[in-house]
Parts: sequence; structure tokens; C-alpha cells
Amino acid sequence: MKLSRNLLGIAVATALAGVAGQAVAADIRIAVAGPVTGPVAQYGDMQMIGAEMAIEQINAKGGIKGDKLVMVKMDDACEPKQSPTVANQVVNDGIKFVVGHLCSGATKPAAKIYDENDVLMVSPAATNDAITAEGFKMVFRTIGKDSQQGPAAGKFIVSHLKPKALAIIHDKQSYGQGIAEQVRETAMAAGVKPVMFEGISKGDTDFSALITKLKTAGADVIYYGGYHPELGLLLRQAKEQGLQAKWMGPEGVGNKDLNAIAGDAVEGLYVTLPQDFTTEPENAALVKAFKDKGQDPSGPFVLTSYAAVEVIADSIKAVGADPVKVADYMRKHTFKTPIGELGFTASGDLKDFKFVVYEWHKDASKTAVK
Amino acid sequence: MNDLLPVLAQQVINGLSLGSIYALIAIGYTMVYGIIGMINFAHGEIYMIGAYVGVVTITALGAASGAMPLALVLSGALIIAVVVTAAYGWTVERVAYRPLRGSPRLVPLISAIGMSIFLQNYVQLGQGARDISVPPLLPGNLFEIDVEGFPVSLSLTRALIIFATLALMIALTLYISRSRMGRACRACSQDMGMANLLGIDTNRVISFTFVVGAILAAVGGVLIGLSIGKINPFIGFVAGIKAFTAAVLGGIGSIPGAMLGGVLLGLTETFASAFLPTEYKDVVAFGLLVLILLFRPTGLLGTPDVEKV
Repeated sequence: MKLSRNLLGIAVATALAGVAGQAVAADIRIAVAGPVTGPVAQYGDMQMIGAEMAIEQINAKGGIKGDKLVMVKMDDACEPKQSPTVANQVVNDGIKFVVGHLCSGATKPAAKIYDENDVLMVSPAATNDAITAEGFKMVFRTIGKDSQQGPAAGKFIVSHLKPKALAIIHDKQSYGQGIAEQVRETAMAAGVKPVMFEGISKGDTDFSALITKLKTAGADVIYYGGYHPELGLLLRQAKEQGLQAKWMGPEGVGNKDLNAIAGDAVEGLYVTLPQDFTTEPENAALVKAFKDKGQDPSGPFVLTSYAAVEVIADSIKAVGADPVKVADYMRKHTFKTPIGELGFTASGDLKDFKFVVYEWHKDASKTAVK
Repeated sequence: MNDLLPVLAQQVINGLSLGSIYALIAIGYTMVYGIIGMINFAHGEIYMIGAYVGVVTITALGAASGAMPLALVLSGALIIAVVVTAAYGWTVERVAYRPLRGSPRLVPLISAIGMSIFLQNYVQLGQGARDISVPPLLPGNLFEIDVEGFPVSLSLTRALIIFATLALMIALTLYISRSRMGRACRACSQDMGMANLLGIDTNRVISFTFVVGAILAAVGGVLIGLSIGKINPFIGFVAGIKAFTAAVLGGIGSIPGAMLGGVLLGLTETFASAFLPTEYKDVVAFGLLVLILLFRPTGLLGTPDVEKV
């Protein structure tokens, strides 16, 4: 299974990179690396349309001092095994700037390769704390960390949902388990001890035994750390067995494909998402530009990707297309982007990032919870 | 622990529905092995194709009319899935295995692995690598009994899985034991050369086993599409491994063994998941397999094979 998927991904990435490399060697190439295939490719879409829009708009305004930006799509399929191949491909092709990767598990091994080879990486989506904890010089992100999101979720659970029996489930991946542990710590600190903390296998489909177990444990609030395909199945099978509980998940579940899998069972799910910047008045023109192309800018990673490209472009404009200088510049300056004024810490994280709790509905809309 | 009984009942229901699907797929492995002594590694992909055809048909029928009665949509999807998947099963044998008949055993095995990779990528290119979802079509429960404050329920989709599997197993057992073709199958599995000499068209029998395996896998695929509601081109791999395990557990080559193995594997996984941390369910399931093979190398219902070394 894994083998064939990897081979295809590599083939596609190679083909794309090859074509782009020959056509436009003189311009500034930005690799946009994320899942183009696989079960969470929807998030890759968000990243691609966000980055593409930013690149188009910058080029329409004449590029960076006349140099055009060129997007090179790379597919890591959200696989930690595939992302190093993609990263090496980027390095070998001489691409100096990366917007990506998306999944934390896939980002971690890639980040090391970029840092060793002086390639600048800005992830618009990977939230696992460990990614920026190794003292890398070239690794940044335009999204918050699990240590911001997890506690936000944990506090919300304790203060708003007031669980009698809190259960925490995760998918054993860097992202899912990482955030689930953050939620557990926050809840424990507030005196709520989870009755259950268990991992499921990514790609599993029948969770009925686990649902029965949750029912037996009397869980009334269930936090799931992971992505939407598994949560969708959990919700659907929970409804099937009549499990009465409030569910909550991180931004990796906030996707309308969740509704396609779980149907009505999603109603009332709580999700922590980056604040929705598409409703900000100053972004109206940008939102319209997306809508004119028939694209939806409200996905959690669309504008973070847009911002990642913008930050890179602004820095190149100031110090030239040398990634080491760009990294330096990024740490010392702030940038005006659609997701607010961004500044970076020495580790490459955002100085300030807000996660907001939303309630998810069966028509895939969401409302902020006060 | 006074409420252990209803929990056990619910877990048995969960395990049975999971095991039923394993059993449906395991039949395909075991029949092919019983007749030609080969592991058809592409069988998991045949199941995946069944699921795809089923889901695509359900979506097409549902979208086309909207008002079409559910029973009609489902039986339509089932029939189309069975026919199309059977055609794939037949073709796979014809293209990848028949030309290799009589070659060393390793050769068709490699051909099977190649076929498996081919089919995975073929579906991925045709249907996209992403998940395809079906909304819950059969909501509701067949029954829900409140036992000491703990509701034990059997949903309609899971009931359908269990009863459809049971019916197919009975039908297959009768067909193999009573019909002319069934007798030919048994003859071939005992001694292919002799069966050939006695005028049995062995190629036809082999094609038949592939088609039967594909039909059962197709039913399993459609049922999974209905109950789980999420498929992608890679589901055949894990399902295939599990079903193959079930076939080995029950004794590969034995049809009742495949049924028993499937149900046993489903129940083991479910109970491991219920009473240990969920992470351990595969450890327990495959640990059991190793144990059983240590003490009964031919599986639970398998017979020692003197001829094939």
C-alpha cells in the first residue's frame, strides 16, 4: 500500500519539478509541499490555493523587483516516509524557498533537511511543538503551536463542557498524539483526570469496540487528536450505537469532508481553529478574488499559506533571494498579512497566534463559541 | 462489573460484524489456495474494486432519481458490483495466472503481487487517491435492548452484514457439497491431474473459484461501503492481510475454516480492543495467529497436506 503510493507521489513530484525547473530557471521558485494525494489531500488543496493566490497577486504587481515567483507543487501525501524524498528533491533542484509541509509528522523529517541545506521553510499548518524546538535557523511557521491550541481546547473543555468523564483519543501520529497530550495536561492541571487516553491506528475503519468501551466508561466529553477521516468514522459509529457525548477536535478535523463521512453526526462538534480572517473587512478584496476563481478561502490553511508566501516575498524584496538573509530578516521584522501583523520568535514561531473554538454544523458551516 | 454482560453482548455484535467481512474475503483466498495451491495476493484489491463499484453505483442511482426506493438502490448496487467484480476476478485469473500455469510456484505469486499493485494504481488513477464517502443510508437499529441501564444495539447495517454473510456462507456450503460444479471443485482440490484425466474442465473450475471469491468479496465491499461509508484505493491492502490471516487461522484451503477464522479474528480484535488499550488489538490478534500456528500448523480446520511439500 505504502510502497505504491510513495512511488506514484515521487513520480508526480519529479515530473512537476522537472517541468518547472526547465521552463523558468531564472525566476524565484517557491516549492509548495503538502498532501496532493492521500486521505487528507483536502488540506493540501487549501494550502495550494492560498499560496497560488499570493503568488499570482505578487506577480500581477510586477513580481519582486521584476523577478517572477514560480510555484512548484510537491506531494508528500502527509507521509513522514515521503516528505524527506520531497525535501531532497527540493534541495537537489536548487529551490531555496518552501511553503510547507502540512502534516506535522511529515514536516518534522523534512525540516531537518531544509535546515541543513539552507533552504527556507515556512509551514502554514504544522502545529507540533517539536518542529521548531531543535534550534533550526531556517524553519518557520505561520500558524500556532499545539502548546497554544491544546491548552485552549483543554481550558474550554474544563470550563464550558464541564465533563463528568473526559475521554481522550488520538491517532498515534506526531500531530494527533501531541495535541491530545497537551489537552490531557491542561485538563489534569485543572483537576479533571481523563477516564481514558488511548490511541487508534490511522487508516482503521471499524471503531465499534472502542465506542462500546467509551459508552461503558460513561464518557460524556470526548476529545479526539487527529485528522477528519478517523474522527468522521468515530462520530458516525458513535451515533450508530447511541453514544451520548460531546466531541471536540483540533483544526485537523475542520473540513467539510468530515460531514461527508459522518453526516448529521457532526452536529455540535467543537473544533479549535485559527481565527477566521475571511470575515475581516480589510480582507474583503482578497476573499472576493478567491470567490471569483470559484475557491473557498475559509479553510483553516488557505490564508496562512497566503501569508507564508507574502512573508517570504516581502523579505526577498528587502534583502534579495538569499534564504539565509531572508531568515534573518524574518526574525527581525514584522509583516502585514491577511492573518494580521506577524512577527517571529528566535525559534521561528509566531509571536502571537489565536485559536478560536467553533461549533461545527451538519451543513459544514461553523459558528464561533463565546 | 455488574454491567459486564450487556457490554459483552455489544462487543460480540461488534466482533461478529467485523469478522463477517473478514470471512467473506477469506473465502476467496482459501478457495483459490485449495484448488491451485497459490495465494492470490490481488484478492484484497478485488474487494476494493467491489467497494468502489458499489459506492459509485449507490451514488449514481441515488443522485439520478433521489426518490428511488432505498431497497432498489441497494440491490441494484449489489448486483452491479457483483457482476463487475466477478468480471475482474475472472479477468485477473485469465491474464495474470492462467498463462503461468505449470510454472514454479513463485512465479504466479510474483504475478499476483504485480496484479495487486497494478489494480491499486489503476483505481487510484481512475477514481482519484482521495477518500470517497457515502452518507449513512440505513440509519436506525434493528433492535435496542436496555440491559440494566446499558443499551445494547444492533444497527441495521451491521445486521445486514451479519445476515448477508450467514446466508452466503450457507448457500456456498450447499453449492459446493451438492452441485455438479461443487463436486468438480472438490475433485480438483484433491487431485487436479486426475480430475483432468476424468474429463473435468479444470480451467473452468479454476475460473469458477476466482469468480466465486470475487462475488463474495464484492458483497463484502458493498456492505463496508454502506456501514463504514469511507473508501479509498488502499483499503484492499489491510483488508486483504486480515482476511488472509483469517484464512490461515482457520486452515487455508478449508471453506468452513475461512468462515471460522474470519469470525474468530473479528472477535479477537474486538475483545482485545475492549479490554486492553485499543493499541494492542493487532498485537493480540496476530499473537493468537502465531500461537495457533505453533500448535496447529495447518490452522484450526485445515488438514495436513501430504502431497504439496
